[in-house]
Parts: sequence; structure tokens; C-alpha cells
Amino acid sequence: MKIRNRNEGGEKIEVQMAPMIDVVFQLLIFFMLTLKIIEPEGDFDINMPLGAPQTSSVTDPDLPPFKVRMEADPATGALSQLLFNGQPMGNDSTAFQRLNLEIFKSVNALKAAGPEALEKQEVEIDPDFGLHYKNIIEAISACSGKMVDGKMVRYISRIKFAPIREEN
Amino acid sequence: MKIKSSGSNAPDVDMTPMIDIVFQLIAFFMVISNFEQQQADERVTLPKNQLAKPPEVKRDDAFTLNVGFLKDKQGEIIDRTPYIFFGDEQIEVANSSNRLRQEAQFYQTIGTPLEDVTVEIRADREVQSGLVQTLIQKCQEEGIEFQRFALKATQKVSP
Repeated sequence: MKIRNRNEGGEKIEVQMAPMIDVVFQLLIFFMLTLKIIEPEGDFDINMPLGAPQTSSVTDPDLPPFKVRMEADPATGALSQLLFNGQPMGNDSTAFQRLNLEIFKSVNALKAAGPEALEKQEVEIDPDFGLHYKNIIEAISACSGKMVDGKMVRYISRIKFAPIREEN
Repeated sequence: MKIKSSGSNAPDVDMTPMIDIVFQLIAFFMVISNFEQQQADERVTLPKNQLAKPPEVKRDDAFTLNVGFLKDKQGEIIDRTPYIFFGDEQIEVANSSNRLRQEAQFYQTIGTPLEDVTVEIRADREVQSGLVQTLIQKCQEEGIEFQRFALKATQKVSP
């Protein structure tokens, strides 16, 4: 059998670059145009077991939930008072820091009682109907933990809502 | 003076570095393109929070409810009534039961227990809290009965 000599003539084969570059630029433009810069989103889990949502349910009678009450300014929906177990925390930007500190103290007390108590402990968030939702996120964040050197220290993970308050 | 003739041949352009860079760019845009957040609605301005971290394991069964206001092109609110957005459709929270029931029926049809489904709530930062609570309550009406909820927030990078 005769084998064809591929190097016959000794000519260099030229690769056509133009179509490849066309396609590559099309791809580049496609990805550039479809690019949407979206900030990363995270979430907070809410513990809402089925049952009677209208009545305040206590899971463990020995361990009453921490109550975070948020009163709203009826006209604007801004936070007018933040209360932790009835204790006022203020209404400015430091109110949630104070709440965070109170939760920290309570968590330390619970830790002394045993790790199980901390796991079972719930926080009940009780906002006015008209309160801006961003305050809810702040309160949940203050109860769930704190950022220390880029790492999250978890305080309480069981967070639920109190029954809905009437709209003013 | 003798002028060097450039000859009739076209000069050979070396394409390799250009192709290298272009491929790098394509790879870059491919990696940072995010096709997953299709559920996010631009009309919703989420609250920001430091502790809001994306879940480490992606949820298998989750659906998103976007609650926000109608806004103009500048992002100003034009209607203070909050709506739930399903694509082009807008439903008031008070009238959302039927739609939520459809979602629940869908998960029941595909054989996913409703207690394993997470309802991700993307609510605008200025929506009334009571409305979000009402929505959660509606998600737990008879025949809907979702049990897992996650409230979304934008991750604020700490200074």
C-alpha cells in the first residue's frame, strides 16, 4: 500500500484566524452585555411551625421566648421605640447595638445553664403593622449573632414572629 | 540614499497575544455572569445587613416571593401599595391566596413535601412589617401550609 507523503511539497498550512476571531468577539460582546452586577444576597431563616399563628405559642413553658417589641411612628413607619423584654433600647441607630448586647448577656446566662437551653431559646419579634421592614431585618440580625473579625458568632437561631398587630 | 523596499507581501500580524487576552476576557465574563438570580426583581430594594450571608448549600426546593412597590425609571416609588411580583403580574398580598395555593399544588404534584420547601421572601425595605407577616400567614393557610421561610437581605460588606 502506498502511503501518501503529507509533507509533499513542504508547504506550511495556514490556519484561517478571521472566522475564529469573529466568533470569539461575538461571545465576548454577548457576555459583556448580559453582565449584571448584582450584590450578593443572604437570608435569615424564620421558624414558623404550623399551628395557630394568631395565638402566641410557647414551645417550652420553662423557657419563655425573648420578646423584641418594635413600635412604629404611625405617620412615617420609622422605628419609634425598641423594647427587649419590656426594657427600652431607644429608637436610633444604636438601639439595635444595644439589643445585640442584651441578647449577648442573655445568651451567656443561658450558656451557663447548659447548651440545650440555648438551642431551645426562641426570640419572638413583635412589630407594629406599619413598621418598615428593614427594622425587622436589623432586629433579626441583632438576635442571630454578631460579626467578629469577619466571622459570625451565632447567638440565637430560633426566631419567630408574634401574632400580627392590627393596622392603625 | 537607498530606500528599503517593503515588498508587496502583507506583513504578518501575530495574533496569538490578542487571542490570549480575548479568551481571558471571555472566561472572566463567563465566570462572573450570574444566571441564577433570575428570580430577583429589580423593583425590590432589599434591606442591607452584615449578617446576611448566602446559604452555603443551595436549597433544592425554594420559591421566591418578591414584595415591593411600583417604581419609575429613576427608582422613585409611584404607588405606595405593595404588590407581589410574578414576572409582569402584580398581586396584592390580600389577594395572593390563590396563587400561593397553585404553588403548593405544584409541589404536591411533583411529590415534594411542603415542609421541605423554603419560601424566600424578598421584601422591599420600606414595606410594612405587618404585610410580610400577613404573607407568611397566608403561606400557612389551609391547603398551602409552607413551613420554612427565609427573609432576604443584601449582604453589606463590613468596613
